[in-house]
Amino acid sequence: MNQATNNEILKIENLKKYFRIGKDKRGPIFVRAVDGVNLNIKFGETLGLVGESGSGKSTIAYTVVGMYRPTSGQILFKDKKIGMEAAKRPLSLKREIQIVFQDPGSSLNPRQTIEQILTLPLRLHTQTPKRQLREKMVELLEKMELSPDYLYKSPPSIGGGEKQMVAIARALAPNPSLIVLDEPTSALDVSVQAKIINKLMDLQKELNLTYLFITHDLSLMRNIAKRIAIMYLGKLCELADAVTFFEKPLHPYTQMLISSVPAISEEEENLKPKKVVSIGEIPSPVNIPSGCSFHLRCPYKMPICSEVDPEMIEVFSGHIVRCHLFSKPENE
Amino acid sequence: MKNSNQFNNAIAISLAKPKSIFWTNLGRNWFKFSRNALSILGLVIVLGIIISAILAPWVTPYPEHAGPFVDFDNAGQPPSLGHLFGTDNFGRDVLTRIIFSFRGALIMAIVVLALAVPPGVLLGLIAGYFQGTWIDTVIMRITDIFLAVPPLILALAIASVLEPNLMNAMIAVTVMWWPWYTRLVYGMASSVKNEYFVIAAELTGASKFHIIFREILPNCLSPVFTKMALDVGWVILIGASLSFVGLGEQPPTPALGQMVSDGARYMPTFWWMTVFPALAIVLTILGFNLTGDGIRDMLETRMG
Amino acid sequence: METKENVLLNIKDLHVWYRVYGGYLKVLNGVHLMVREGERVGLVGETGCGKTTTMKSILQILPPGDFHIPQGQIFYKGQDVLKMSFGELQRLRSREIAMIFQDPTAALNPVFTIGAQIGDVIKYSIALEEKKVHKEKIKTLSARALKEAYLPDPERMLVNYPLQLSGGMRQRVCIAMSISSKRNLLIADEPGTSLDVTIQDQILRLLKEIVEKKGTSIILITHSLGVAREMTDRIYVMYAGTIVETAPAKTLFKNPLHPYTKGLFASVPKISGGGIAKGIPGRIPDYLNPPSGCRFHPRCEHASQICMEKPPQLFEIEKDHSVACYLAQR
Repeated sequence: MNQATNNEILKIENLKKYFRIGKDKRGPIFVRAVDGVNLNIKFGETLGLVGESGSGKSTIAYTVVGMYRPTSGQILFKDKKIGMEAAKRPLSLKREIQIVFQDPGSSLNPRQTIEQILTLPLRLHTQTPKRQLREKMVELLEKMELSPDYLYKSPPSIGGGEKQMVAIARALAPNPSLIVLDEPTSALDVSVQAKIINKLMDLQKELNLTYLFITHDLSLMRNIAKRIAIMYLGKLCELADAVTFFEKPLHPYTQMLISSVPAISEEEENLKPKKVVSIGEIPSPVNIPSGCSFHLRCPYKMPICSEVDPEMIEVFSGHIVRCHLFSKPENE
Repeated sequence: MKNSNQFNNAIAISLAKPKSIFWTNLGRNWFKFSRNALSILGLVIVLGIIISAILAPWVTPYPEHAGPFVDFDNAGQPPSLGHLFGTDNFGRDVLTRIIFSFRGALIMAIVVLALAVPPGVLLGLIAGYFQGTWIDTVIMRITDIFLAVPPLILALAIASVLEPNLMNAMIAVTVMWWPWYTRLVYGMASSVKNEYFVIAAELTGASKFHIIFREILPNCLSPVFTKMALDVGWVILIGASLSFVGLGEQPPTPALGQMVSDGARYMPTFWWMTVFPALAIVLTILGFNLTGDGIRDMLETRMG
Repeated sequence: METKENVLLNIKDLHVWYRVYGGYLKVLNGVHLMVREGERVGLVGETGCGKTTTMKSILQILPPGDFHIPQGQIFYKGQDVLKMSFGELQRLRSREIAMIFQDPTAALNPVFTIGAQIGDVIKYSIALEEKKVHKEKIKTLSARALKEAYLPDPERMLVNYPLQLSGGMRQRVCIAMSISSKRNLLIADEPGTSLDVTIQDQILRLLKEIVEKKGTSIILITHSLGVAREMTDRIYVMYAGTIVETAPAKTLFKNPLHPYTKGLFASVPKISGGGIAKGIPGRIPDYLNPPSGCRFHPRCEHASQICMEKPPQLFEIEKDHSVACYLAQR
């Protein structure tokens, strides 16, 4: 994948994040939450990151934003290394990368008013004089289609969708370039989700934002992401643009996921790949299976799968997979 | 871009809202408080004690009996219409002295809490925020030491070293009271610290001061207020224990424990000299406990 | 419309109010719901529409004191649940109807073993008839229930604690508890919602198999239209405490009539792409002062005068397909 580096806003190179959770007689035990991930995001695009629990998608998001320090590997934002915790990052970097969390109930301080919540980023990152703070906040609220009296409300008295709108307004307040969205609508109803997703798409066009969008909802991903990456137990399985992802999913896990989505009509049902029945439990990231981590649940398992971890192969242009079904037969 | 007049109007309208929000919140809080009839009973008792203490010189039948006064002809009178709770061994009206002793008791409670709660809360906040570091260890181990000593003994030890008067009794009780708040707030702060809204503030670059006092503290206060309401009763009890052994308020100023102790040697013949002050102590603690329960219902539940 | 013979559950015009500061939250405003024997019924609605309140009313497990039922009846096998004695309610809960709650972690007691918890369910369902139940019998029945839920190594599972299991396995344990004795009606409240998508798929298939094998009726509560389509025969769509539309699953998806139903369908992201519709404008009503007439009218682009005055009743448009909407009834 030879791309000119100047149109990529974020480059994740061989990122690993291990958490130490104790030790046994053989040495320390690690949770290998992220285990060697390469990912790029272009300016202005929405990259979708999909996976189930233990996949490491949230860990990547949190590392990009500065909640964690990478164990190894590097992250480049606008070609500058940013692989350190938020406390050590310059203020300008904190302004540029923002995050919206999954649960609006716990990402907004229930004991503050919305005015106080929005004051913080405005005070830190913009030079807005005190007199104009309220005006600026009303402007932000208007963008999210919330009336000015929301300034005086506090989170427990407003609905989940509205809370998430406030969380998004808070992320927009400092004029960021990249917003990481960690399952922003998973806890919301489908009609509320529709409203918020549309708003996010409009804002992206208007303000030229880049999104790293994490979710487990594949049909949602289909409609908002330009490219989609699937993760399983800390590693990428497949990466392709959204249309190809659904029309020609290559990795068995991808097929399993897509075929598990409950379809809403006959036409939709027919668009799904042949049903790959999900078997077994998702292994815990403490006990990652040997070889290809998916082999225990894979219906196409071959002997080599339990021994050797496959490499990422570019099968078509822009479409990469990590699976022995597609490995080149050399080097064996 | 909106017309700036429309903007100003919108802001003007929304600025008018906060007052009505205040009344709505008050009403909602009263609703939660009043769900339990016992809380109302507690509130009635508490208000009765406070009001009678403030207005003592005007509502008591014999206000001069609360000072240096003797009338041996009238000593040891059982309860009667003239003296509802009888008279003590100096001829002083027991009811009057009880009401006057509420003054000292309430002052002690207010002063002790005012002095003990802020430092206790502050230490708990800091220890909780820096959980896992040496700051946490130092603060919490010191707290543990204070908590390990039986409270009454600590208070007695301190009060007996100092000159016996109300002020020193208050100091003694304050010294043993703050650690409970530290522990309470430590538990809350260390868990609130991990909430996503705190992380969000940190990620965006908020200062430690902002995080501790604007993000974490407001989420720790509800149990503190509840505990304060309940503690008024307990401080009064400890104060009574101190005055029972002669530390604290000195005669002729009346104090509940002192009255119980003085009347004890005249039991059982002149029972009213001990029993009524003791019942007053019980009633006080009961009142503040019930009120504290109501405050807890008000602050710590979700309703409506 | 209803064949009286095999109707198992029939909720008629149920109103439920919840006392709060400032008055009553009029949560349910005339709910009609009917389940026949062996039928799979779906109840679809978004957060706050009253689905859980309705289900809790059936089993009478609403918090006491704060709830008020001004009108309505819930007929189970012909008998009104709201008028049942305590003993009859006990029988209802331990032998007739079982509820599978949404969050399996919260539904299982962390300090008791799986065996103890299933054992309790079995004991109370049998105890009404047999005075003393042998421990061995309970153990056998427990292991059998776990096996039917496809839990591996049922004998050993009995001594495990809930926290030792994964989310999917806990949900299976809850399902096992609900089928440990013969029941006529299962109520599943958003099963699998808190679990991963592949695991949820397994749970739903398990439920489907159980219902087919045992002929139990099931009410499946969900906010996912896709799940409702795959799992149910007939669907009720609920909004703000009223049933706005009901139809057999196939009919509903081919021909949704109520504006809310149509709005919901449009909001669901499609695998075929094409973006998502704008959602439904407005927000769910304040139950303290609900809108007059049709509760959906403030959000409906077709609202007319009569919509604001009188709440529409469910009206049968075609076979088994009823809508509560003046627009659709024209």
